[in-house]
Amino acid sequence: MFGKGLIKGLQITWREMLAQKVTVQYPDEQIPLPDRYHGRFELDADKCIACMLCANACPNKVIQIERTRVGKKQYLTKYVMRIEYCMFCGLCVESCNQDALRFSKVFNMNQYFRSRVRLTLADRPAPAEEPAEEAGSEQEAKKKAPAPKKPAGAGSEAAAGKS
Amino acid sequence: MAIQTQTYFLNLGPQHPSTHGVFRVILELDGEVVVRAIPVPGYLHRGVEKLAEARTYTQVIPYTDRLDYLANMLMNWGYVEAVEKLMGIEVPERAQYIRVIVGELSRIASHLMAIGSYAGDIGGLTGFLYTFRDRERILDLFEMLTGSRMTVSYFRIGGVADDLPEGFIPLLQKFLADLPGLCDEYDGLITGNEIFQARTKFVGVIPPEKAINYSLSGPNLRGSGVNFDLRKNRPYGIYDRFDFEVPLGKNGDCFDRFVCRMKEMRQSARIIQQALDGLPEGPIQAKVPKVIKPPVGEAYTEIESSKGIFGCYVVSDGSNKPYRVHFRRPSFINLGCLAELCVGWKIADVIAILGSLDIVLGEVDC
Ligand code: SF4
Ligand code: SF4
Repeated sequence: MFGKGLIKGLQITWREMLAQKVTVQYPDEQIPLPDRYHGRFELDADKCIACMLCANACPNKVIQIERTRVGKKQYLTKYVMRIEYCMFCGLCVESCNQDALRFSKVFNMNQYFRSRVRLTLADRPAPAEEPAEEAGSEQEAKKKAPAPKKPAGAGSEAAAGKS
Repeated sequence: MAIQTQTYFLNLGPQHPSTHGVFRVILELDGEVVVRAIPVPGYLHRGVEKLAEARTYTQVIPYTDRLDYLANMLMNWGYVEAVEKLMGIEVPERAQYIRVIVGELSRIASHLMAIGSYAGDIGGLTGFLYTFRDRERILDLFEMLTGSRMTVSYFRIGGVADDLPEGFIPLLQKFLADLPGLCDEYDGLITGNEIFQARTKFVGVIPPEKAINYSLSGPNLRGSGVNFDLRKNRPYGIYDRFDFEVPLGKNGDCFDRFVCRMKEMRQSARIIQQALDGLPEGPIQAKVPKVIKPPVGEAYTEIESSKGIFGCYVVSDGSNKPYRVHFRRPSFINLGCLAELCVGWKIADVIAILGSLDIVLGEVDC
């Protein structure tokens, strides 16, 4: 009989009308994100040994690292991600064997201005103790260990202001 | 007295929802009837093959996600398979099984998108919402597994990136248990709908010989009744271990192609169930050198993606970057017959024919 299929289809939609909702009212309600979620990056600057593995693993040259030599070790002074070119593929996080670079669950990274998109994960002067041949003179004022760490720098401030 | 009429041109796309992305067809029309159709692809060309030449072998993987972004896992698979062949890497059992599970999930997700958007093309947007609701469950699983919903970058040369997380298998089992019921729902909502059938049956018929001559593959070929599925005919990975059927169409019309996809989803679910039952413990990554430098040479492999045969050709010059990568993209090749198929049909049927070929522009333009 013609129309049988139509009636069956309507029955399905009616049944669905009474079923539970599958959507949520987004800004008020949020669905939980899984642990492996690829959100904004987090850097534990103290763990980072400025080995450049992450920067070299990146297909798009997103990660820019500046480092200086302090004593025998490399010291991370600046860690900037040109996040506008990032594909969120996770190759950088995977390559970091110090567990310094991680994904967070923050996903609202949109900005009004392109210049604010860039993510500065660390921007700190090198500690000016011991030998410190090159950078020493400038940074005398800020002595010793607890260098002002800004784990998520300007990017997070802007995002926090927005959300 | 015969009325003098003139043909005229109508530009369909590139910004048209029914062209499934940015695809353009120039239609020469006589009234409402198509006299000639000129497909114009290329609006989404990003030069992935060229980009690959400036990336290391591992770094190419994220770009393959963006070929057929609806069946991303399968695109990953096609590429890593070629590099593995080139290097002679043996993939561990567990990784093989995980690959089958996520690959078939990808196929289901892609077919859900295909049948849903096809229903939308024909004029029943309701069907689209239902398949999207359920595709979301697969994307959630992918998000749990890889951290991303669509751009998964999950495969690695010699294995997969991560093991299955806790809670993945129960959710997957639940989805598999629900899937037959969901498919029945789509059948009731879309396949059984008389208007849908009237719009698609005996429209855009591709006879088997023509399908072969146009080098069609995937559900488009099988819709014409040609029994060819790489997973059966030339099994790669561990597909020879699974018991499943290859659904075939009879008439080669839009309806048969649609129904083929519908039935393939149920078969994919069967494969996943078998893979889950046989999932062994063990490593998920073969021992590969840190810097991947395949020996000088070339390799070509093919897999059965959701759209058809996805081939990948990799040439190595011994360095850590591929000398040349080429992808045989099924959507692009399946599009070849569009110009001929459309002739003689009305504009609305052009949409039905194009939709039934199930193209995805990321793959067509590459
Ligand atoms: S996620 Fe991928 S593209 Fe983004 S910074 Fe890391 S390696 Fe580069
Ligand atoms: S984040 Fe990790 S990989 Fe990158 S430089 Fe620091 S320690 Fe090395």
